[in-house]
Amino acid sequence: MTNHFGDVVGHSKVIFIIGANSAAANPIGMKHFLQAKDRNNAQLIVVDPVFTKTAAKADHFLRIRTGTDVALVYGLMHVIFKNGWEDKEFIKTRVYGMDEIKAEAMKWTPELTADVTGIPAEQIVQIATILAKTKPATVVWALGITQHSTGTSNTRILPILQLVLGNMGKNGGGCNIIRGHDNVQGSTDMCCLADSLSGYYGLAEGSWKYFAKSWGVDYEWLKGRFAAPEWMQAKGFSLAKWWQGVLQEETTYSSSPVRALWVQGNGITSMSQQVKIQEALDKLDLVVLVDPFVNEAAVLTNRKDDMYLLPAATQFETEGSVTATNRTSQWRSKVVDPLYESKTDHDIMFLFAERFGFYDEYTRAMKMAVKDRELQPVKEEFVWPDDACREIARTIKTIGLGGWTPERLRKHQENWHMFDPLTLEGKGPMKGEYYGLPWPSWDENHPGSPVLYDVNTPVTAGGMGFRNRFGLEHDGVSQLADPSVSVKDSKIAGGYPEITKDNIEQVLGITLTAAEKEKMGANWKVDLSGIINEKCLAAGVAPYGNARARVKVWQFPDPIPKHREPIHSSRPDLVERFPSYDDQKNNFRVDVKFVSEQKAQEWVKDFPTMLVSMRVVNLSGAGMLERTSKYLSHLTPEMFANIHPDLALQYGLRDGDMMWLHAPQGTKIRVKAQYSLTVTPDRIALPYNFAGVMQGVDLSDNYPEGTKPYTIGESSNTITNYGFDIITQIPEYNAGLCRIEKA
Amino acid sequence: MSNGQARMKFYCDTTRCIECFACSVACSEAHELPVGISRRKVVTMHEGIPGKEYSISIACMHCTDAPCEQVCPVDCFYIREDGIVLHDKNKCIGCGYCLYACPFGAPQFPRDGAFGTKGAMDKCTMCAGGPEETNSARERHLYGHNRIAEGKVPICAAVCATNALLVGDAEEVSTIYRKRVSSRGKGA
Amino acid sequence: MTRRAIIVVAASMMLASAACAADSQIWGGMIITNIPEYGKDQSRNLGPLFTYLQGNFFRSIFLGILLGIPAVFLCHYLVFGPKVFSHDGERIYVFTLFNRIIHLLAAVSFVILVPTGFMIVFGAYLGGGALVTYARHLHGIATIVFAVSVVPMFVFWFVEMLPAMDDIKWFFMLGGYLSRKKQEVPAGKFNGGQKVWFWLATIGGLVMIVTGGAMYLQDFGLGIAGGLGMSQIDLLRLAAIVHNLLAFAVVAFFFTHVYMSLFAIKGSINSIITGYKEEDEVKHLHSSYYRKLKQVRKA
Repeated sequence: MTNHFGDVVGHSKVIFIIGANSAAANPIGMKHFLQAKDRNNAQLIVVDPVFTKTAAKADHFLRIRTGTDVALVYGLMHVIFKNGWEDKEFIKTRVYGMDEIKAEAMKWTPELTADVTGIPAEQIVQIATILAKTKPATVVWALGITQHSTGTSNTRILPILQLVLGNMGKNGGGCNIIRGHDNVQGSTDMCCLADSLSGYYGLAEGSWKYFAKSWGVDYEWLKGRFAAPEWMQAKGFSLAKWWQGVLQEETTYSSSPVRALWVQGNGITSMSQQVKIQEALDKLDLVVLVDPFVNEAAVLTNRKDDMYLLPAATQFETEGSVTATNRTSQWRSKVVDPLYESKTDHDIMFLFAERFGFYDEYTRAMKMAVKDRELQPVKEEFVWPDDACREIARTIKTIGLGGWTPERLRKHQENWHMFDPLTLEGKGPMKGEYYGLPWPSWDENHPGSPVLYDVNTPVTAGGMGFRNRFGLEHDGVSQLADPSVSVKDSKIAGGYPEITKDNIEQVLGITLTAAEKEKMGANWKVDLSGIINEKCLAAGVAPYGNARARVKVWQFPDPIPKHREPIHSSRPDLVERFPSYDDQKNNFRVDVKFVSEQKAQEWVKDFPTMLVSMRVVNLSGAGMLERTSKYLSHLTPEMFANIHPDLALQYGLRDGDMMWLHAPQGTKIRVKAQYSLTVTPDRIALPYNFAGVMQGVDLSDNYPEGTKPYTIGESSNTITNYGFDIITQIPEYNAGLCRIEKA
Repeated sequence: MSNGQARMKFYCDTTRCIECFACSVACSEAHELPVGISRRKVVTMHEGIPGKEYSISIACMHCTDAPCEQVCPVDCFYIREDGIVLHDKNKCIGCGYCLYACPFGAPQFPRDGAFGTKGAMDKCTMCAGGPEETNSARERHLYGHNRIAEGKVPICAAVCATNALLVGDAEEVSTIYRKRVSSRGKGA
Repeated sequence: MTRRAIIVVAASMMLASAACAADSQIWGGMIITNIPEYGKDQSRNLGPLFTYLQGNFFRSIFLGILLGIPAVFLCHYLVFGPKVFSHDGERIYVFTLFNRIIHLLAAVSFVILVPTGFMIVFGAYLGGGALVTYARHLHGIATIVFAVSVVPMFVFWFVEMLPAMDDIKWFFMLGGYLSRKKQEVPAGKFNGGQKVWFWLATIGGLVMIVTGGAMYLQDFGLGIAGGLGMSQIDLLRLAAIVHNLLAFAVVAFFFTHVYMSLFAIKGSINSIITGYKEEDEVKHLHSSYYRKLKQVRKA
C-alpha cells in the first residue's frame, strides 16, 4: 500500500477496487471503504468476474471477463487521454515513458475494450469520466490482479493509471494493495522468496557481500555452502513450480533433482497443480512439514515413511513484530508459552542450525551492533526477539527499516490509544510519530511515511519523491525528477540521484572527513555506518533519490504492459490478435510454456466454461486452520461451486447435485453445484480453501489420528489450469477453463 | 424519553453488513452454543442481483411489545427495565409457541433427549445472561456469557468488522445511524 | 394391530431422526423462512393471528370450558337427576371384546391427553419447568396410544355412526335429557350426540394427531410444507391455531361423554366394560335399535 486505510476514509472520493473481494478476504479493510462512502460520499467502483459481497456494496459494478484487466485499464486511459483529462503536469515532471503508454491506450477504443472485457462501452466511458473528474481516487487490488500469466503487467498498469490521473503521492490517492493474511507484508519485505535476499536486495554478488558483512560471516564461507558458486546468484525453484524440480517433466536447470522438501508455514495444498504436487510429494526422499496444524500436504501424499510433522507454536506463543498491509510494524506480546511439545519457529530453526553445525554463524549478527560507525561484536548472548529486530533495522536499508527498533515498536504497542486511527498521527507523548512507523522510517528519530511519494511533505516528516533505481538516464532521457519537483524543505531543488559514496559530496554539497569516507559503505543501501542516511536526512534528502516513475520497464518481455489473452482463453478469436508470450526458458530453474500451451488446441471447444476461484469469508488459505473450528466449518460444510441455474440446467444439474469439473490438463474434481446468481452462465466460481479429497478419492485415512478437520473437500487447485506469470511465476489461478459433467 | 430509562436495541445497517458472519460465529463461541444453533444469523436477500442484494444480521430484536412474551403458556419471559427480553429456561417447556410468534426466527431449540425432541428454548440474551445469579457458573451454562454485567458490549456488535451492527440505547443507536445517513447525502 | 403400532412409532422416530440429521428449516443455519413471511402483504399473516389468539383468548376459553361445562352438568344433575334404568331385564350384548379393548386404549389416552393438555395451557400457574415439560412429553406419548386406537375404532363403528333420520329428531329433543320423564328416544345403536362425538374424536382426533405431532417434532423437514404451498413456520402456526380450536370442541365433548357415562345414565359405564347394556336402557335411549333387535329375534 502506498497509502493506508485511514487515509482512504479521510480523503478518497473514489475507490476503484479491481480483483479484490475485501468483504470476504479482509472485512476490516472493507469497513474503511464503507466508512469512506458514508463520510465522504465516496463512490465505490468494483471490477470483478463475480458479483461478490464487495460488489454488492458498490455504486458501480463492472463484470469483467477473466484475464482482461490490462485491456480494461487501457480502455479507461483511452477515454482519459482522448479527452485530455490526464494530469499533464504530473506526467511531464515525474514520469518517464508515458508516450508509449498513450500510444497503446489510443488503440483501446471503448468498443474494442468492451469486446475484450465484456464490460459495456458506455460503462467504460462512464467510469473513466468519474475517475478523471473526481479526485483523489485510490486504486485497490489483491490476488485477482496478480494471479495471472499477465500478473506482472496487471500490477504495472494500475499504478500507471494512477500516474496518468496524477493520484500518486497524494492523500486519498495511491495504490492500496490489500494483503490477505497476517504479516504477508512482513514476509514479503523479508523476501521469503527464491530470487532475493531480505529487503529486496536480490542475489547479486554485492548483495551477498553486504549480507555476509551484516551477518558477521565470511563471504567465502557463505559461498562454500553452495554446491557450486554459480548457484549463489541463480534463482531457486519457486513455490509455484518446485515440483518440477522433483519430477523434471519440463526442462529444469539444477545440479540434481530436488530430493527433500521442508515446508514451514505454507499451505501448499492451496497451490495450483495439486496432482503434480501429490506426485512430487510421493517421490521425494524426505518431507518435513512444520505447522501448528497438520499441513494437508501430509494428507495429500500417500507416502508412508520419511515424512515428519513438527508442531510449531502459534503467534500467541511467541513475541516479535509483524508488518501490516500499510507498511506499519506492530509489536506482539506472548500470551502463553508454547503448548505441549510445540516449539516456536525460530527455536525449531535454531535447533536444526545447531545439528547442522552453523548455529554460531546463524545467530552471530544478533550479538553485533554498529559502534563507532562499524558493525562489531558487542555481547556474548543475544536476546530474542529484540536483537533479531535490531539486526533487521540496521541491515534493511532499501525500504528504510532503520527506525524499527524494538524499543520504539513496543512503545507504539503500549500507547496504541495515543494515535489517531485515520491519520495515524500520534498525540501527547507520541506526538510527531505515525502509528507503526510505516516504512521508510529512515532512522531512530524518523516518524515513518504514511503516504509514499509525497513531495509536499519534508523527508524528515515522511515525504519523498520516486526512487532513483534504474540509472540516471535511459534513451537519452533523464530519469531524475524535473527541476520543478522539489521535496518540501529539501536543500536540493528538483530531482537528484540515489546517494552513493561517490556522489554524496557533490549532490549534498558537503565535504566528508577522511574517517567518514573510510567507514562509509559504497551506497545508501549498503552503508552500515549510517553516515549517508544521516547526511541525507540533515539535508532533507531521501537517500534513494528523487526520480521519475518509469512506466516502461525495458528489461521485461513487455516493456509497456500489453493485453495478452489468458493461456486458456474463452475467446480463441482474440488469441490470434493478443497471443500470450513466447515460451520461456529457465525462469526459477524451469522452462514454462506460454503460447505453445495456449495454441495447443482450441481449448474452449472442450472446456467451454470459465473457471474463477474465490475466497469464502470463513476460510483462509488452504483452510485447515478454519476447518478445525466447528462454527466456521458449519458455514460451509462442504466444497461447492457457485453456478448459474441456466448453466446448471444445461447439464441437468439441480441445486445441490454433485458434478465433475474437468480441467484441460486432464484432472477433475467432484463438487456440489450450488445455484447462485452471483455468476453469469459463462463461468463458475469455486472456493480454493478445501483439501482432503483428491479427484473423487476421500483421503480421510491419511489424517493422523484425531486431526481430521470438521470438513474436507476437493481442492479447486486440482483443476487450476496450467499457466504462470512470466516474471514472478505465480500460477494463473484466476483465469482458466473447465468442463462440467453431471456426477 | 431523554431522561427516561434507556431501552437497549440492536440495529443492523444493511449498507454496511457484508455477510462476514463474525457476529454469528463470535456469538456461538462466546456462549459455547451447540453447532446448528444460531442465536444470531446473517441472511442475504436477493443474492447476486446488482442493486438489490443486501445482507442483514438478525437475532432477537428485544421487542418492546415482545410477541414471544404474549404467547408463552408458562410465562417464562421477562423484560428487564432496560428493555432486554430474557427468559427462564427452568420454566420453559420447549413448546415452540414463541417461535411461531416471533417475526425474526430468534428462538432456537437445541435437541434434548430421545427422539430428537426439542429442549428448552435458547435465544439471544443481548449477552445479559438470565435469571440465575449473575456471572455464576449456572448462568453461564444455561444462558452463556453475561457481558453486560461485566460492563461489556454484546459480543456480536463488539466484533462487527464494518460497524454495521449497532447496539445500545435506542436513541443513541438512531443518532449514530442518522449521522451516517445524513453525511452520505442519501438513503432513507 | 401391533404392526400398526410399530409403524406409527417407527414413523415418528423417522421424523425425529430427520430432524436430528439437519439444521432446522425454520430457525437453524442461516435460513429463516419466517422473516420474509411475517406481516407482509402477500403472507397469510398467521404469525400475528396466532399471537393475537394465543395472547388474548385461548387460555380464557380453555378456562371457560374447564369450569363451565362441569358447572352446567352439575346443574343438570341437580335439576334433572340421572336416568335410572331397570337392571332386572335382559342384558343385550352390544360391544365385542375387541371393541372394548380399543375403547379402553382410547379412554386411557384421553384420560392422559386432556389433563396434560390443560397442564400445558395453564403451565404458568404450575410454574412451568420440569412438571409441565413432562406433561408435554406425556401428552406426546399418549398421542401414540390414541393413534393406535383411533383407526380400528373408526373402522368398526363407521357404519353405525353414519347419520340417520333419527339423529335429527334426537337433536330436536336433545336426547330427552332436558326432562325427568322416561321416554323412548329415537336413536339407533348410537344416538346423534354419540355420533357427533365419534366423528369429532376420529376425524378431529386425526387432525389433532397431525397438528400436535408437527408441533411436537417442530422440525420435520420432509417437504410437507412445500407440498402444501406453505413455509414450514406458517404450517406450524396453522397447526397451533387448529390444534387449539379443535381442542375446545374435543375437550367439551369429552367432558360430556364422561358425564353421560358416569353420572347422567346410572350404570351405563358397565356396557363398555362388560359388553352388555340393560334392556331397559336400550329400549328407551336407543329405541330404533331396540325395535330392530326385536324384529331380528322374531325372524
